Amino acid sequence: MSDTSTPREDDNALAAEYALGLTPAAEFVDTRRRAATDPAFAAHVAMWHERLVAMTDDIAPVTPPARVKRDVFGRLFRPARVPLLQRVWLWQGISIAAIALAAVLGYGQLTQAPTPDAVRAPVYATQLTGADGALQVLAVYDPTRGDLALSRTSGAARPGRALELWAIAPDQAPVSLGVLPDAATTRVVLPSALAAIAGQLTLAISDEPPGGSTTGAPTGDVLAASPVTEL
Amino acid sequence: MDRDRIETLIARVALNDRAAFDQLYDAVSAKLFGVCLRVLTNRAAAEDAMQDTFVKIWNNAERYSANGLSPMTWLITIARNTSIDRLRARKSGNTDLDSVQTELVASGPTPEQASIARSEAGRLVNCLDELPQDRGSAIRGAYLDGQSYADLAERFNVPLNTMRTWLRRGLMALRECMAQ
Repeated sequence: MSDTSTPREDDNALAAEYALGLTPAAEFVDTRRRAATDPAFAAHVAMWHERLVAMTDDIAPVTPPARVKRDVFGRLFRPARVPLLQRVWLWQGISIAAIALAAVLGYGQLTQAPTPDAVRAPVYATQLTGADGALQVLAVYDPTRGDLALSRTSGAARPGRALELWAIAPDQAPVSLGVLPDAATTRVVLPSALAAIAGQLTLAISDEPPGGSTTGAPTGDVLAASPVTEL
Repeated sequence: MDRDRIETLIARVALNDRAAFDQLYDAVSAKLFGVCLRVLTNRAAAEDAMQDTFVKIWNNAERYSANGLSPMTWLITIARNTSIDRLRARKSGNTDLDSVQTELVASGPTPEQASIARSEAGRLVNCLDELPQDRGSAIRGAYLDGQSYADLAERFNVPLNTMRTWLRRGLMALRECMAQ
């Protein structure tokens, strides 16, 4: 191949092939190393890039869809997400509440690598604290399951009464999520309409007769209410 | 496209300036998308290649000043190489072509060399058309369609080594034509 050409011309041809992406596989590693370490050869390659790019001169610009930019910026600048439980730890510290909540969220969350989607999905949480501080309920919306994990770390229903959990979307009437069981921890499914706006919800607990409100709206004292925040 | 402005934006991107990256995207994305579409001829694949291209631009902007390329050449070459990588990956597992952002760090041409190359660039299309025996068409096939020597040998129905000799002569003739 190089029988009639001078080494200089040969280098130039190799550089042109390299810029075009024609370098045969057997020569590729060597050529790439030369391009990275040999300034004269790198200059040849750059000159060929400069020459060949003129083939794109008559390619008309096409505005890409907006999602391309959004995805690029999402890929580069998305805040690093940490797994759900880690976020709970960061939020609450190693508190009794967080440990109790870890039990509700499940051992799997502690040990399994979260799926990329689960890691990316926002996690919302709130701490519901009664006026006197006696009642304390930690709630975390678990996007991997679409439900709320609840941990009552302090307080209980009044004698002969029940605690009922409500979700309140902006400018909407409270929607009952059911009566909290006697157990300290539980999971409550969030209806999909509410799950879709999980980040905008306020959670509340009201004092109700056993079995809960019969009217569909809170009837007793609102013992605690708090908007969710993103962890 | 204002060369100085693009160069300034790349320099700011090298300092992790997101606002500059935003402006750079708005300034050049349509041209680069046109290039990705030309190579890949498929919108979904071209959108994916655009994402990869801009991630590479963000990650390699600090190396740009060392490579001596004009800013649009650098950007378009990344888009072209990324697209051809995808095209070849679609066909088979071929050699990767990620040359521009990693391999040109040694140093680029001198400013004089670079400006000569740029002034020659306008003659490329005419010179390609003047090359004998479809060599111009083969060079276009390699650059814009990612065709390998094997692809070209099949297309022109010649042995692979003949194709290589033939195309290298074409490239040297192209260089001489452009320098005239």
